[in-house]
Amino acid sequence: MAGLYIHIPFCKQACSYCDFYFVTQQKYKQEFVDELIREIYSHKDTRFTTDPIQTIYFGGGTPSLLTPAQTGSILEAIYSVFDVQAEEITLEMNPDDVTRDFLSGVKSAGIDRASMGVQSFDTDLLNFMHRAHTSGEALRCLELLQSSDFNVFTVDLIYGNPGQSLEVLEKDIETILQFDPPHISAYSLTVEPQTRLGKQVKLGRIVPPEDDKVARHFDLVVNKLKEAGIMQYEVSNYAKPGKEAIHNSNYWDHVNYLGLGPGAHSFWWEEDLKTAHRWSNKPDLRSYLKQEWEQPFEQETLNMQALAEERLMLGLRTRKGVASEELKSRYQFSFSEEQLQYIDRLSDEGKAIFDQNLRLTTKGLKIADTILLDILTK
Amino acid sequence: MNNIRNFCIIAHIDHGKSTLADRLLQKTGAISERDMKEQMLDDMDLERERGITIKSHAIRMDYKRPNGENYIFNLIDTPGHVDFAYEVSRALKACEGAILVVDAAQGIEAQTISNLYQAIEQNLEIIPVLNKIDLPGADPENIGQQIVDLIGCDYEDILHVSGKTGEGVDELLEEIVDKVPGPKREEDKPLRALIFDSIFNTYRGSIAYVRVMEGVLRKGDLFKFMSNLEEYYAEEIGYLKMKQEPTKELRAGEVGYVIGSVKSLQDVRVGDTITKVDNPAKEPIPGYQEAKPMVFSGIFPTDADDFEDLRAALEKLQLNDASLTYEPETSKALGFGFRAGFLGLLHMEIVQERLDREFDIDIITTVPNVQYEVELVEGDRIQVDNPSQMPAVGDIEAIYEPYIKASIITPADYIGPVMKLCQDRRGIYVNQLFMQNNRVEITYELPMAEVVFDFYDRLKSGTRGYASLDYEFIEYRKGDLVRLDILLNGDQVDALSSITHRDKAYHLGRKVCAKLKELIPQQQFEVAVQAAIGNRVIARDTVRAMRKDVTAKCYGGDISRKRKLLEKQKEGKKRMKQVGTVEIPQEAFLAVLSMDEDDR
Repeated sequence: MAGLYIHIPFCKQACSYCDFYFVTQQKYKQEFVDELIREIYSHKDTRFTTDPIQTIYFGGGTPSLLTPAQTGSILEAIYSVFDVQAEEITLEMNPDDVTRDFLSGVKSAGIDRASMGVQSFDTDLLNFMHRAHTSGEALRCLELLQSSDFNVFTVDLIYGNPGQSLEVLEKDIETILQFDPPHISAYSLTVEPQTRLGKQVKLGRIVPPEDDKVARHFDLVVNKLKEAGIMQYEVSNYAKPGKEAIHNSNYWDHVNYLGLGPGAHSFWWEEDLKTAHRWSNKPDLRSYLKQEWEQPFEQETLNMQALAEERLMLGLRTRKGVASEELKSRYQFSFSEEQLQYIDRLSDEGKAIFDQNLRLTTKGLKIADTILLDILTK
Repeated sequence: MNNIRNFCIIAHIDHGKSTLADRLLQKTGAISERDMKEQMLDDMDLERERGITIKSHAIRMDYKRPNGENYIFNLIDTPGHVDFAYEVSRALKACEGAILVVDAAQGIEAQTISNLYQAIEQNLEIIPVLNKIDLPGADPENIGQQIVDLIGCDYEDILHVSGKTGEGVDELLEEIVDKVPGPKREEDKPLRALIFDSIFNTYRGSIAYVRVMEGVLRKGDLFKFMSNLEEYYAEEIGYLKMKQEPTKELRAGEVGYVIGSVKSLQDVRVGDTITKVDNPAKEPIPGYQEAKPMVFSGIFPTDADDFEDLRAALEKLQLNDASLTYEPETSKALGFGFRAGFLGLLHMEIVQERLDREFDIDIITTVPNVQYEVELVEGDRIQVDNPSQMPAVGDIEAIYEPYIKASIITPADYIGPVMKLCQDRRGIYVNQLFMQNNRVEITYELPMAEVVFDFYDRLKSGTRGYASLDYEFIEYRKGDLVRLDILLNGDQVDALSSITHRDKAYHLGRKVCAKLKELIPQQQFEVAVQAAIGNRVIARDTVRAMRKDVTAKCYGGDISRKRKLLEKQKEGKKRMKQVGTVEIPQEAFLAVLSMDEDDR
């Protein structure tokens, strides 16, 4: 079983916080699609096509900047090269691109899950984030989605913005809940150095909120969504039971995936399951169009130790946690005496629960990075 | 005919001593044009960069007068910094004359005056020289007048010289012959040779640079050091030319070197007297002192794995620098390291920089402090050179601290800032003397503790670099001193303890707490940062517990990024220092330890 990630590197404008790879120029879209199809075909009859493809994910960038026909042609290529047994085919969309026709177009092209980049309904926040859509467009796209054939969809939300009050966040959450989404991704704003936001923070023009304030935002999101029956299953992901994202969950579970398009990352186990490889395409459209995807831009081989630590890193972000049995059988990893003592202390402090699985509570999840580092350095 | 002339050069840093010395070497043919490395006498890189001669050396030149007479010159170099006053006094003792070199543009500086007075006290013949006479800014008349006032010579006696162009150097050579008296040649007396310097050679051991005052030392003689009575054979003796030149004997009045399989430089002590085992001198040459460190600081490797390398480096440094002392020290916060003693601040800086440059070891040094004398309630009096060893408040009857007399020469425009600085450092005003050229000599008595930290830099920056400083230890005085401790969740951070005046403790405590609050990363629990005198907390800050620390997005490409970051964080965590349950990054220590007086 494996997943496919397709990176569509086009955006109308740069969101202030985003450091994914994108270009704002639209003129190479068709060339890109053609090149992407070439990259897909390059995998024909390789070891990557023997695993059945369980999920396909169009991310970006802004995948909704492609026409449904272009998306369809990409999927067609995928179907002819890979053994697709898809349970989930997701397309990220921005509210300003969504029309009734667009939705039905991509649906008939084969997309069965829509991921809507709403982020907020608050005009000031949307301006601050430098999003291309308005509050009105955000509402309208969700209305369209609700009345469309998509019964599986997810909505993105960003909280913990500078100056954002709990009230504004609560209003955003309540607005989303009106549309009864089966899945929500809620991210706390991350300041990446190479973004406009990062530069403004560095210059002192913007001061990010303190961690205790963001912690209150986090708690509010968890509780409000829980009341609506939408349960947190990962740090930033919430779903009605059974509606969890398969593609993303597979990342955390070390399932093989192949990334296509500029800047896309891939992960694949070696056949003996003792090591795994991770590699990426160069995040550069020009190079991509010159077929530089033929050579990996960056690559690394992960040994068991690194894989075990990574599995812990990913597993502790999920509510389900990670089973010590899995760590042992799949990664030959078990906790040391010092680590167990530390975990005991975490349990006493209400930050973790350790039975068959080691998992973090809401309190622990909020400081998962600290906890992971502590565990790995004990 | 007594054809030996032993002399030194007294000059301030930058006044052109080294260039002038080079010129003398060239003119006498001691060194050829081709071999000429600029400023031959300063052979350490560090010295050359700083323009400071750190270790004194000596060189022998053959001078042929225009009238055909041959003379032997021994130029004994003197270190130019205040920390090395004792070494200077020993070098002067080996001479009969001194060339006083004054920059014709800059005028006399504090350091020069103090060395000059020492030379006069030792009855050296002074040859006044105005150097850099070729510079456009030269003001020979005014500066010359300063010299006249200082040594009471006639203006006409002052030579006008340019080490750079060579102007006046011939006259200077003649003046040395004419004015500097030849040494007494009391060869019949028992041997007394003064050690004025020593160096360490990996193959030969310690080599003593000596001036034979009386008697004769021959190759093969059994000799002893009069301070510790250790005996050695003179395996090799010789003259100090550009290269060491072996000879059979060193006679009264001569300058040279002695090699005797002396393994440790500690045994070859500057100021000590060498005499022969058979027919020894009754008394050593007066004035010998043990090198006494005045400033102390903890030195810790940044990386604990470098501890053995640091030890080896200090051992090597000590081979060439007998005045450096050190002993192992363990700090709860900084781990294993050493407590080192230095002659003064510059000496400390030099050692730190050499550790970095010559041995490539990253170190953390604690704030320098002086040695205190503590009178205990029980009546004993103990010496404390490490704040963390200061006894409990209740056990202390009184604390005494060393005082110095500082003499500062500055252009009159900067009297205000200089006096303010001294006043801020608990200085006691003594007097001020106006000199020629709109300059003032200001004298203060200051607690040495106030001078070891950031005083010299302050003095320089407050006077645009014009002020010069000289100081000497005077005595221990009782002070209202306290030990200020820094506590993290109740655990003392030993490396940050300091001894300070009570009036300054509150301010300092608040500043350090605030700085640490800024630098200690949030932990899973709240961290109380406190400053305390004994059990009394005088300042407090709090580092809030970490409430949120988790990456928002962790999908495909994020994962490898996050794992790489994790690897880095693991490395960083290894370098964290642990105080009780609290982890402190090294940078926090560095920042607090390098806080300047404004921050403090």
